[in-house]
Amino acid sequence: MACLSDDKILTYLDGEIKSIEQAIIRDHLLICPDCRRTTDSYAELHKILAQPVTSEPPAWLIPQIMKRIYPEIPKYTSIAALIAASFIFFVTWIYIYFDFSKNSLIKALQLTADSTSGWLVNIIKAISTIYNSVQAAFKACNAFLNMLLNIRLGGTMIIAFALAFSGLVLSILIRLLLKKPGAEK
Amino acid sequence: MRKYEKKIFNFVIRMVRNEEVAIDLTQDFFIKIFTVLDKYNFEYKFSTWAYRICYNLVIDHIRKNQAQVNSLDDDSISTKDMLSSDNVTRDDGFKNLSREETRIYIWKIVEHIAPKFRELILLRYIQDLKYEEIAEITALPVGTIKNRIFKAKEILKQEMEKDGLPV
Repeated sequence: MACLSDDKILTYLDGEIKSIEQAIIRDHLLICPDCRRTTDSYAELHKILAQPVTSEPPAWLIPQIMKRIYPEIPKYTSIAALIAASFIFFVTWIYIYFDFSKNSLIKALQLTADSTSGWLVNIIKAISTIYNSVQAAFKACNAFLNMLLNIRLGGTMIIAFALAFSGLVLSILIRLLLKKPGAEK
Repeated sequence: MRKYEKKIFNFVIRMVRNEEVAIDLTQDFFIKIFTVLDKYNFEYKFSTWAYRICYNLVIDHIRKNQAQVNSLDDDSISTKDMLSSDNVTRDDGFKNLSREETRIYIWKIVEHIAPKFRELILLRYIQDLKYEEIAEITALPVGTIKNRIFKAKEILKQEMEKDGLPV
């Protein structure tokens, strides 16, 4: 095999040569002192380049980038969002827990509407409409809340979640307090 | 973000050789990544795609500010002058530099070679990319990359020999 070109030696040191060719080069280096000398001289440089001297970016760089990506929400917006989120969460949990859609009163009203005519129907329809509107409002609030949370409210989200959880606990307590003794029998 | 922060910053700072500009460009890079993330094609490696964006940002900056980013010609590097303010110079020249000092010295020379060589050395050794990945990022043929890296190493070797450093 003819002597290795410098170009070949450098590519070999960079590990950019196929394994078969690498083996051929290795064999050649064992028998050729000239090529071995050249390879050794580049190997030192290669080792140094493979351990770059790096600088540390400033610690504030990432926080600053995050600020630019997610501009800070004005304080009053956060407070308003916090109140709104807490309220929505609290009411939603109570709503979910008591499950108004299965409320016997509403069911009774709907059944009555089916078998009644005249002014009573209109009243029942009005109640049903209000009930449906409330339900729609709940859904809208939930959607709005999801949107708010997607805008990275961070702390607000955590507090709202804590309030929601406390809402759930409260609703359980209310339920337990309202439970008649011996109702399970 | 943490994964790429250091590598990107180090690539940029060595290309533009100005800390303030490097910080600005690193910020611009991450903001750009966030804004064009929806255009990312999953067929490509994320790192290659990201480095390509970074590379284009840096090259655009260098083109726009050609006067400020005055690169030295391959043969005009006066290493001793260049390193005079650094702590790698010695009264007895460069012959007795420790391994760590040699490393700092070599990387200082890298900062001063022409951008067309420097960018490839940085992509290869700081970003630890393969020739093919570098080709995708720089839109250069693999053969050209090999040749330029070879030439860059030749320059570095010559500089080391010139300063009496054992090579």
